[in-house]
Amino acid sequence: MMRVYNVYFCMVISAMIFFGCMGKIFARDIRLTATVDQNILTLQDRLELTLTIHGTQDTAHPSFPTIEGFTLLYGPSISAQTRIINGEVAVSKAYTYALQPTAKGKFTIGPSVVEYKGEKYSSQPLSVEVVDAPRQSASQAPNLEKLVFVELSVDKNEAYVYEQVILSFTFYFQKGLPVGDIDYDAPSTKNFMEEKLGDQRQYEEIRDGIIYNVLELRTALFPMVSGELTVSPAKVKCNLIVQQRRGRNAPSDSLFGDAFFDDFFGRDQKRYPVERATESITLRVKPLPEQGKPKEFKGAVGTFNMEVSTQAQRVKVGDPITLSMSVYGEGNIQTIHEPVLAVDKESDFKLYPAESNTQITSREDVIRGRKVFSKVIEPQKPELKFTPAIVFSFFDPRAGQYKTITKEPIPITVEAGEHEVPIQLTLSHDKTLPMKQQVQLLTEDILPIMTNLSALRNQGNDIYRNPFIIGCLFLPAVAVIASFLLSRHKERLASDIGYARARRAHAVAKKRLEGARTVLRQNQPGEFYACLSRAMSDYLADKFNVTPASATEDKVADLLKQRGVGDDIRGEVSRLLTDFDHRRFSQESGTLDEMEHALKLAEELITKMERQLS
Amino acid sequence: MKIRLWVLYLLLIPCLNFGIPNAHCESPKSEIRNPKSKIPKDEAVKLFADANENYLQAMKLIASKNTAEADQHLREATVQYEAILAGGFKNGQVYYNLGNTYYRRGELGKAIVNYRRAARFMPRNADLNANLRLVKGVTEDKELSTEIPVVVKRIFFWLFLLNRNELSIVAVSLYVALMIVLFVSNIRKYAWFRRVFIGFSSALFVAVVSLGIKIYLEQGVSRGVIVTSKCEVRYGPGEEYEPKFEIHNGSECLIEGEKDDWYRVYVKVGVKQDKGSDASPGEKISSDVRRGWLQKKYVDMM
Repeated sequence: MMRVYNVYFCMVISAMIFFGCMGKIFARDIRLTATVDQNILTLQDRLELTLTIHGTQDTAHPSFPTIEGFTLLYGPSISAQTRIINGEVAVSKAYTYALQPTAKGKFTIGPSVVEYKGEKYSSQPLSVEVVDAPRQSASQAPNLEKLVFVELSVDKNEAYVYEQVILSFTFYFQKGLPVGDIDYDAPSTKNFMEEKLGDQRQYEEIRDGIIYNVLELRTALFPMVSGELTVSPAKVKCNLIVQQRRGRNAPSDSLFGDAFFDDFFGRDQKRYPVERATESITLRVKPLPEQGKPKEFKGAVGTFNMEVSTQAQRVKVGDPITLSMSVYGEGNIQTIHEPVLAVDKESDFKLYPAESNTQITSREDVIRGRKVFSKVIEPQKPELKFTPAIVFSFFDPRAGQYKTITKEPIPITVEAGEHEVPIQLTLSHDKTLPMKQQVQLLTEDILPIMTNLSALRNQGNDIYRNPFIIGCLFLPAVAVIASFLLSRHKERLASDIGYARARRAHAVAKKRLEGARTVLRQNQPGEFYACLSRAMSDYLADKFNVTPASATEDKVADLLKQRGVGDDIRGEVSRLLTDFDHRRFSQESGTLDEMEHALKLAEELITKMERQLS
Repeated sequence: MKIRLWVLYLLLIPCLNFGIPNAHCESPKSEIRNPKSKIPKDEAVKLFADANENYLQAMKLIASKNTAEADQHLREATVQYEAILAGGFKNGQVYYNLGNTYYRRGELGKAIVNYRRAARFMPRNADLNANLRLVKGVTEDKELSTEIPVVVKRIFFWLFLLNRNELSIVAVSLYVALMIVLFVSNIRKYAWFRRVFIGFSSALFVAVVSLGIKIYLEQGVSRGVIVTSKCEVRYGPGEEYEPKFEIHNGSECLIEGEKDDWYRVYVKVGVKQDKGSDASPGEKISSDVRRGWLQKKYVDMM
């Protein structure tokens, strides 16, 4: 039982301590703010005035401010808010009043006062203008000029070359305004090196009595040249999303016509595209002063400090000592150069080029970082007692002058090294040395020149650019194509009788006409016309791949028509075939000249047909 | 159907060859793109022999420690080799000897440029590779350069062992052989012709692609060598930009662009071993890629 009381007692004490602390946290930074939902309105509008007490919730009502030109419609409606951001508790209590303007003109809402623990807190006065312009109809796009705007600013208008300049882009939109699809187009920063600063900042800001949500993007710029440098305007595109409820009994898709589905799928949302651009910014960049420039200065601009350390402090002559030189601070870390070693005599130390490692340690407000140089030095004399002093110079733009950091030498102990054996440039004949030590690399040298004159020819002529060779490359291709076509032709002649007959028809007809000419010389008219008739009909039969017996006058006329042969040739063919048959079997064979003429006609007609049927 | 497509591709190869010379990028022109020889071969041979004689004389003088006169002979040899090349007579031996001459004169950057140019004509020459390795070894910036891994060199050996003309000859020979196979296959039908055809056409495809890659690597990608003792690489193309880092004689860089008298370069720099290990000082262990702008006059294009 006693134990239960103890537990209860501890809980009560813990709660008291917790709420006591909370009270202290809440009690910090008490302030009273007055905000309105709009500062230009018409007589038909209502003004919403909100008095917010930040830092506590257990105060009396703030006094209602004196307001001319408005009457109180209702209020206050009270709302309390507790927010925990990054472990910090923020409490507030808001009193909202609805006011109706009664007259046109500019009015001032006086300060409101609240008393808390004996102290009085007051809000800032606000200006409100009442105009008589008619309000825009609901179908028109809302006036967004004052609801959404952007600004581009730099933390200074003058800077030195390589000095850090903070560029801020701020995007304002009135609190509660549903803004989406934000697309940011960063400004062009030619002639600057740039480093992104931190994450996007989000906060609220009151301007002219209206609360805005603010998104801020910051970039550290380092001008690389002197003169008037311009940062081009930044742009932002976004959509103002306005919910439009549809009627309850919408005719379409009744299954999904519920408001829940509308919200879920984003239907009935109207998007007003908004585009805003900032002004450009001109920055005057001054060159680094020549006066007072130390000889060790090599371009570092910012506020820096330096730490130097070494690991090995007891070494032998020729052994490496690594000096770690860390330069850190604000500014362009990339351009920090290697600190200078103040060596008394060049022969004291052998120096190797330093390696560097750059690290940006903070991107919150400004670029802060560290560049660590690891430099290997080798002491060359045993009497050396210290490492060289290390000097780093930079230009401090805040002070407007060059500064030099000098780190005192670090004490070291250098012991004499082992006796160095001189390099032998000739092969040793010392018999006491083991055989394997007699092979030594004396020196390295390039191999001799080439003197082969027979191989000296111009190799600059690329074969693949030689037009003759490229031209010759087509010959095998042409031969292959020709052989392919020839082979295909032969195959077809062997396998396709119609094709073979058609190809050979003209040659066969010519042969028959030669035969007719022989018969003509023998003056045998009947035989002559038989030869002519056969030559004609066989030619047509071969061309159309039909039997000679079926190559009748009518059929031939039809086939010729199908192949698109002209009426004149068709008529001529029909006439000649009839004429030859007639003379073949009648006594009217005609004179020798007429027979010659008939032969010539037959030859010409076959040639014409060959041209048209090929 | 596939065979017909192959045949069509093979017949198009001569047309493809026409297109290759135009496949240059817009970056700075390489020094050895001037195939027209203005001097006759006899004159080139005479100049070459004289230059060789001058070089050998210089070697003797160096051995007798008469450096002043040796330098004079080396200068004369340089002028003679340069005259051969300026006359459009390009030869691997001339570039190699010129590289040797520059090395003797202490101009490592120019020696490397000429060895690299010689390597385009004599990729299998062991002397050349040895000299190039030696000269690269004495440059101040221990770069891991753009050397291609040995495994890749072994797998695609033909690409690294043959120069452009040799690859062209291989491609043309394969093309002619393939055409003969096609020609014969049109006349005589043998089943095994099909395999021969596929074999030859595949080999030809590889040869043509290799030739294209070779030409692109040698002419499409602009490389340069620093020919001054110390060169400041800056943030931008102008003296008004601050120096970013320094590179030294013999460093090789990739030219990415140019503006006025400046090249935008890409340098691969090796990082030296510093302490506490068994490796000797200066041994390269890793690389760092850096970009910046440097003046054209400090770079010789390969």
